[in-house]
Amino acid sequence: MPRILVLFLAFLTTGPAFAQSPASSVVQTDNVRAELVSELSTVKPGEPFWVGLRQTIRPKWHTYWKNPGESGLPTEISWTLPPGAKADPIVWPTPSLFDIGGVTNYGFKDEAMLLVRITPPADLAGPLKLAAEANWLVCEDVCIPEDGKFELTLPSAAAATPAPPATRALFEQARRALPLESPWPARYGLSKSGEPTLIVEARGLKPDTISNVYFFPADWGPVAAMAKQSAAIAADGIRIPLKRGDAKAAMPATLAGTLVLTEKTAGGSVRQAFDISARLDPAFVPAAASLAGAAGAEQLSLAQALLFALLGGLILNLMPCVFPVLAMKAAAFARLAGHDRAEMRRDGIVYTAGVLVAFAAMAAIVIGLRASVGDVAWGFQFQSPVFSLLIAYLFFVVGLNLSGVFEVGSRLAGVGQGLTARGGTTGAFFTGVLAVVVATPCTAPFMAAALGFALSQPAPATVAVLLAMGLGLALPYLALSMTPALQRLMPRPGPWMHRLRQFLAFPMYASAVWMVWVLTQQTGSDGVLYALGGMVLIAFAIWMLRLGSGAAAGTWLRRGLAAVAVLLAFAVALKLEDGPATAASASGGPNAGVSFEGWERFSRARMAEAVAAGKPVFVDFTAAWCITCLVNERVALETPASRKAFEQAGVVKLKGDWTNRDDEITGVLKELGRAGVPLYLFWAPGADKPKVLPQVLTESMILSELSSIQQTRR
Amino acid sequence: MSNFVVPRRSLMVGGAALALVPAISFASSSPDVGKPAPLFTGTDSNGKSWSLADLKGKVVVLETTNHDCPYVRKHYNSKNMQTQQREAAANGVVWLTLASSAAGEQGHVTAPQANDLTRSRDAAPAAVILDPQSKIARLYGATVTPHMYIVDAKGVLVYKGGIDSIPSSSTSDIPKATQYVRAALGEVLAGKQVTEASTRAYGCTLKYPKTST
Repeated sequence: MPRILVLFLAFLTTGPAFAQSPASSVVQTDNVRAELVSELSTVKPGEPFWVGLRQTIRPKWHTYWKNPGESGLPTEISWTLPPGAKADPIVWPTPSLFDIGGVTNYGFKDEAMLLVRITPPADLAGPLKLAAEANWLVCEDVCIPEDGKFELTLPSAAAATPAPPATRALFEQARRALPLESPWPARYGLSKSGEPTLIVEARGLKPDTISNVYFFPADWGPVAAMAKQSAAIAADGIRIPLKRGDAKAAMPATLAGTLVLTEKTAGGSVRQAFDISARLDPAFVPAAASLAGAAGAEQLSLAQALLFALLGGLILNLMPCVFPVLAMKAAAFARLAGHDRAEMRRDGIVYTAGVLVAFAAMAAIVIGLRASVGDVAWGFQFQSPVFSLLIAYLFFVVGLNLSGVFEVGSRLAGVGQGLTARGGTTGAFFTGVLAVVVATPCTAPFMAAALGFALSQPAPATVAVLLAMGLGLALPYLALSMTPALQRLMPRPGPWMHRLRQFLAFPMYASAVWMVWVLTQQTGSDGVLYALGGMVLIAFAIWMLRLGSGAAAGTWLRRGLAAVAVLLAFAVALKLEDGPATAASASGGPNAGVSFEGWERFSRARMAEAVAAGKPVFVDFTAAWCITCLVNERVALETPASRKAFEQAGVVKLKGDWTNRDDEITGVLKELGRAGVPLYLFWAPGADKPKVLPQVLTESMILSELSSIQQTRR
Repeated sequence: MSNFVVPRRSLMVGGAALALVPAISFASSSPDVGKPAPLFTGTDSNGKSWSLADLKGKVVVLETTNHDCPYVRKHYNSKNMQTQQREAAANGVVWLTLASSAAGEQGHVTAPQANDLTRSRDAAPAAVILDPQSKIARLYGATVTPHMYIVDAKGVLVYKGGIDSIPSSSTSDIPKATQYVRAALGEVLAGKQVTEASTRAYGCTLKYPKTST
C-alpha cells in the first residue's frame, strides 16, 4: 500500500503543525482528520454543553452511521471523565447511502460532526478535563480501522463563555445536519409474508413535489439495508415497503430510523430528514409491494416507462370500470360477425384511433397545464372533487343505460352515449374515447409510475408514454379485429348478449359507489348528499324524457323539467367547488392543518395597514402539505429565541395558509414571481418594499433580521 | 387528464398489476436460515472441484476471506480462525474458505498465492475455493469478510453472520466475544437447533467486481 505509506509520511511531517489549542484536539490519520471541539471556551459547573468529534474525511472515502448498513462499523467514542461528569451517546447527523459494489452502506463523506452532550460535575473546581478514545472505520474500496486519542481541557467559571465564532459556526452547521423530530406519527405493519411496510402519516403531500424518499433503519436486524426503496406518496401519507432484516427475533414494537426526502419547492429542491419512531400496528397488513409503490423513488428509463405504460394499458382492459365498455364493444363486434372482414378491421382500427386520440388529448392537457401553471397548480387536479362527481355521474348513467332504463340511440341519451350509438366508424371511434374516459379514474394508482415519469419529462416523452398506454388499452380489440382465427372463437350473438349487458350494469353501479366514496374523502360527508341527490335528479330527468314519447303537449314541459333536473345535478358541482371543507378535509386529519397560534391570518389589507403604521411585519406563506414550510417553522420561526425576538421587536406576524386554493395568496405569490410556498416576507419598519427571505430559514437568519431593525431603531 | 384524481384506497386495486411487474432485485439478497443452502460448485487452489451437492451428509462451513482486510487479519493473527478450522476438521466438518475478492480488488489471490497464504498463516481449511467473480459470495449474499455460513448435513443453511459478537478490529476483543460459529457448530453437531442462527456480520465490505452490482 504505497499510497498509504505516502500519506503516512505526509502525516508525520504535517502532524505536528496541528498544535493543541484548549478548545480543540486534533488527530490526523491516513484518511481522516479528526478533531474534538467544544462549543464553550469556559464551562459552568453542572451545566451541560456540547462537544463534537469532527471528521474531515479523505475525498471519496466514508465513515459510518450508527447503523452502518450491510458492512462497516460506526464510529465509537469512549470517554474518560472526572467523577460526576457525564457524556451522553453520540447524536448522529443525517446519513447518506453508499452503494459499494452492491453492498449498501450508511455513512458520511467529506465531513461529519458527531455531537455529544457533556455534563460537567456540579462541584467542578478548576478546569474540566475531557479525554476520549475514538475509533472509526473508514472505507473507500478498502476499509481501514483507525483510532485517535483526544484531550480537551476547558477552564470553568461561574458563567460559561462560548467558543470563538468559527467554532460556533461548526456547531450550528452540525445542528442543521441533524434529523428533526418527525412532525408526523408513524406506524408500520407486516404483510402476510412478514415484510414490513412503513407509513409516515404525512397527509395530503403532493406526490409530484417529493422525491428521493428513503428510510434509514436505526438498527441492524429488523429491517434490511436496501440499495433502493420504492416509497409512494399516498393520501394517507408516505408509504415505504421495506424488506425484513436478518435478525431472527420478532419485529420490535417500535421501528426507529431516519426518513429523508427531497421536496421540490418553487425556489429549488430541499433535502429534509426526520427521526421516525414507528409503532407496530397489527391492524395494518400491507399487500405485497405494488406497482404504485414504485412511483416515488423508482427511476424509470424511457423504454421502461413505455413498457410499463403498454402493460398498464393492457391491464386496464381487466378493470371493472372499463370492462362494461369493452363488453359492449365485443357484443357489437359479435353482431358484426359475418360482415366483411375489411369492415371489421376498419372497426378495430377506428376504435384504436379513438383511444389514441383521447390519450393524445390528455397528453395535450397535461402539457398545456404544465406550461401555463407549472407543477404547483397541477397538484390541485389530484384532489378535484368536481371531477370525482362528474365521473360518478358518468358511471351511474352508463349503468342505467346498461340496465336498459334508456336505450342507446334515442336522442335523450348523453352525448358520449349518443355518439357511440352511431353505427359504423363514428360509433367505433367514440367507443374508444368513452373507454378512455371511463377507464381513467381506475388507472391512476396503477400507472402512477409511468404517469409520474410522463409528467416529469419533456413533451415528446409525455406524449409517447400516454400513447403507449392507449395502445395497450386498444390492443386486445385491435388484435381481435385483425385475426380471423380469434374471431372464430367469439360466441354467436344471441339473448345472452342482452343478459350480459344488464349484468354489466352492476360493476358500473359499484364503480359509481366507489367514486362517491372518493368524493366523501375529498369533501366530507356532505359529498354523499350532493352526489346521490344529483343522481336522483339525473334519474328523474331520464324518466321524464322517456314518459310517453308521443304526446306533444307535455313534451316541452317534460323536457324543461328534465333540463332543470340535470342543471341542478350539475349545479352541485359548483357547490362542491365553493364548499369550505373541500381541500382541508382532503388533505387529511387534524395534524395536517396549519397552526395559527401566535400568528394573525394573512390578508392584504392587514398587511398594508400594519406596514403603513410603520410596524415591522413578517409574513409566512405556508401550507399543510409543504414539508419545508413545516421545518422552517420548527427550526427557525417557532424556536423560543425567535419567538422572543419577534415579540421584543413588536413584529406583526401574519400567516397565509395556502393549503387550499386561496386567490388572494395566489395573487401575492404571482406578484412576487413565485409559483408556490414557502415564501417569507419581511417588512422593516418604514420600508416601502418587503425583503424576501430565502426559502430555507435558520434561527440565526431570523434573529439577525430582527436585530438589524432593533439597531436601526436605536 | 384527471386520471390522477384518485390516489386513495385504489392503490389496492393496483395490486392486480403486480404479477406483471418484474420484482426489483437487490444486489445482495441473502438466503434464509432454515432453507436449503444455495448450491454451488467451485475450484480450489489445488485445482480440485468442490460441489455443495456432493457434500451432503457433512456439515459445511463457508468463510469469505480477504487476507488484506484488517478484520480477517484480526482473526488470523490471533489464530482464532485457524483454531476453529482445526476444531471443525477434527469433528468431520468441511471448512471451505472462499477467496471472493474480484480480480483487481483487494484480497484477490491466484492459486499459488492462496496456497502460500495457507502455509504462512498456518491455516487449516479443507480447501480455499477461488471465487474471482464473487459468484459464490453473491449467491450467499455475503457483504463482508469474514462472513460466515454453516450448512448442515441435510444441506440446510443453519447459520449466517459474523465469526463472533464483538465487531472490532482489535484482537484483544476475541477472548471477550461470543464465538458464534464455534457455538453454532457445537449445536449442529449435537443435533440441536442453533440458538443464534443469524447475527450481524462485521468486517470489510466484500470486494465485488466493479462492473456489476
